[in-house]
Amino acid sequence: MKKTANTPISRRLVLGAAMVAAGLTISACGGGGATSSGSGGGNVELNFVFWGDANRAKMTEAALRIFEKKNPGITVKTEYQDSAPYADKLATRFAGGNPPDVLAMANRSLLEYAQRGTLADLKSFPELNLDKVPETTLSRGEVDGKLYGLATGVTTIGMVVNKTITDQAGVTIPDDKTWSWEDYAKFATEVTQKTGGKVYGAGYDVATETGPIMLARQRGEDFYTKDNKLGVSEKTIEDWFQYSVDLRKAGGYPPAGFFEQIGGSPAQSYLAKGTVASQIIPINNFRGYNEAVEGEVVLLRIPGETSGERRGYSADPTMLWSIAAKSKHPKEAAKLVDFLTNDAEGAAEVLTQRGVPINPAVADSITPKLSADDKTFVDLMAAIQEDDLPPAYVYPKGASVVADTLKQLTTEVEFGRISPADAAKTFMEKSNAAINK
Amino acid sequence: MTVLTKQPPGAPAPAAAGGTPRIRPSRRRKQRSGYLFLLPWFLGMLFTVIPFFASLYLAFTDYNLFTEPNFVGLANFQAMFEDPRLIQSLKVTFIYTFVSVPISLAVALLVALVLNRGLQGLSIYRSVYYLPSLLGGSVAIVMLWRYIFGNDGIVNGFLGIFGIQGPAWVTDPQFSLSTLIVLNVWTFGSPMVIFLAGLRQVPGMYYEAASIDGASRWRQFRSITLPLISPIIFFNLIMQLIGSFQTFTQGYVMSGGTGGPADSTLFYNLYLYQKGFTEFEMGYASAMAWLLLMIIAIFTAINFIASKFWVFYDN
Repeated sequence: MKKTANTPISRRLVLGAAMVAAGLTISACGGGGATSSGSGGGNVELNFVFWGDANRAKMTEAALRIFEKKNPGITVKTEYQDSAPYADKLATRFAGGNPPDVLAMANRSLLEYAQRGTLADLKSFPELNLDKVPETTLSRGEVDGKLYGLATGVTTIGMVVNKTITDQAGVTIPDDKTWSWEDYAKFATEVTQKTGGKVYGAGYDVATETGPIMLARQRGEDFYTKDNKLGVSEKTIEDWFQYSVDLRKAGGYPPAGFFEQIGGSPAQSYLAKGTVASQIIPINNFRGYNEAVEGEVVLLRIPGETSGERRGYSADPTMLWSIAAKSKHPKEAAKLVDFLTNDAEGAAEVLTQRGVPINPAVADSITPKLSADDKTFVDLMAAIQEDDLPPAYVYPKGASVVADTLKQLTTEVEFGRISPADAAKTFMEKSNAAINK
Repeated sequence: MTVLTKQPPGAPAPAAAGGTPRIRPSRRRKQRSGYLFLLPWFLGMLFTVIPFFASLYLAFTDYNLFTEPNFVGLANFQAMFEDPRLIQSLKVTFIYTFVSVPISLAVALLVALVLNRGLQGLSIYRSVYYLPSLLGGSVAIVMLWRYIFGNDGIVNGFLGIFGIQGPAWVTDPQFSLSTLIVLNVWTFGSPMVIFLAGLRQVPGMYYEAASIDGASRWRQFRSITLPLISPIIFFNLIMQLIGSFQTFTQGYVMSGGTGGPADSTLFYNLYLYQKGFTEFEMGYASAMAWLLLMIIAIFTAINFIASKFWVFYDN
């Protein structure tokens, strides 16, 4: 009877539970990845990873079946994810000593991996033929004379406008060959006004680095320089922020907090929702956007190409193919990269999913097979390259911190927590610190 | 944690039976099978203990995941003092903890008190309220939360009925953390279930005696219920505190891994993860983990000292 009020939890138990619970973070941090290798018999199995959606995966698989047929004894096992989880998983796989053989690499991550000695020099493989690849393309994956990443294709950014909306609103789209950033602002503001605020004229992403990279180039600055430093001026970054602030004030750009996008696919975009009339996209995705959006979408050049000091455009790697330095089957991996680069039959399955093929003969061979939208992309890409474009360079180590910093400061500016000038100052400090480390 | 909460009913019993110094054979056999049952846990511990000490070593190195770690002494710990994002992550984590833990404990206790009044269909209610705790840390629920508090979500839809233009709960750095605090409070189920178990242990005769003496309900709660369940409050407090210091999923999913908008949901563990796996500074991340352990240890110690003044052990 005396013990009935006995509580079930003692002091010692609380302490014990606390210790166990507190230790969880520690061990989560020190954990290493388990390794497993899956090649058996005389057959070589390559592990090939990339980011993208199911559609891209399907097209890639079709090409790989051709590769396997042409290379008996090699099978390719693929894995793919959305870009953000892909980046996380790739890091842990390299850290765990179990990297994939062939992998897709983002421009901004290439040197983070390469300068830590985790990637193989692609020039060292006789299996990989680079004769047809233009020097300007090769340079985007090179550092100290070694080739760590080979472009999967080339693309650039462009402006997509929902013409159905602008037609209904009675707004004419300016000539994109000559339009300036002011013209774009005027156009966007007019769209918002004439739709009664139901549709915002501009919906481009301020926080993605490709935008300010373009602006910097138009002004004669290299965002990232030849010697892998930050070359953009503080003024350009400030203007990039200020432009969005002014455009928002004028009504052409949505209010703070409007963008809360969860996924990155064209179907989840605000353009597809019909709440914005224009957006900046990597133009190899044009087809996806035109299919996802109700109404007619037109593909335009970025503003400011003829009003600035020089052309801002460059043919950029959509992503890069790399081979892990620790790959157990480097020869076979090089064969696969060669196939992805130089094989017309394989390219016919993938088309322009990862940009215009970098081997011109392959690019020509797939042209007749392209849909109208993909052809629009390829034609614009070709037209842009007819002009004399200033050279562009590989992204330096630390570029992913630069990207994160831009994202963070964009929000600060968006909600008026700091001025564009202060944001630009902070951007320079943090970015330089990350790159020069 | 579940293992530990199940342990206590058995633990005090042998002590209560007391008085037999020699271990009888049947008892030894019981012990043996006891250890046998613990074996999986011991094996599992290897996967905790080894990384645990590995991270202690790595905390003093410049390990970058790819090349061999070099010993750098206290450099990582020194760098922490000059890292504004680390300070920000501590701020976020402290605000989150000190706001959400007391509120969620109060709510849990309140609901437990209501459920303890002998409602019909208690088990159904108990499950309903417990459910969010099972789901709260899950990715799907955080995604759902984003939609609920989204610009076109039901919260702003509801406010719209009254002509109030709700803020951008998720994307405005002023509100994003409070949205997560609400989510954490909503998952009060597991402390509630523990409270409920505790309340059931309080003998009814105390209340009978008190009401004969004319004590009000509030008086009964303050003088009988609270002291008798104070060890349970203490237990819940410690566990919630630790859990909340280690918050990761909510911040990760809500911000897509960035801790945004503008670092307003940059939880300590999220920043630790970013350092380790996106900036490849695993040495620094390990040092951060040990700092967190020290912070948690300090707060737990403070609570243990303070507990002498308010926790009542009736045995």
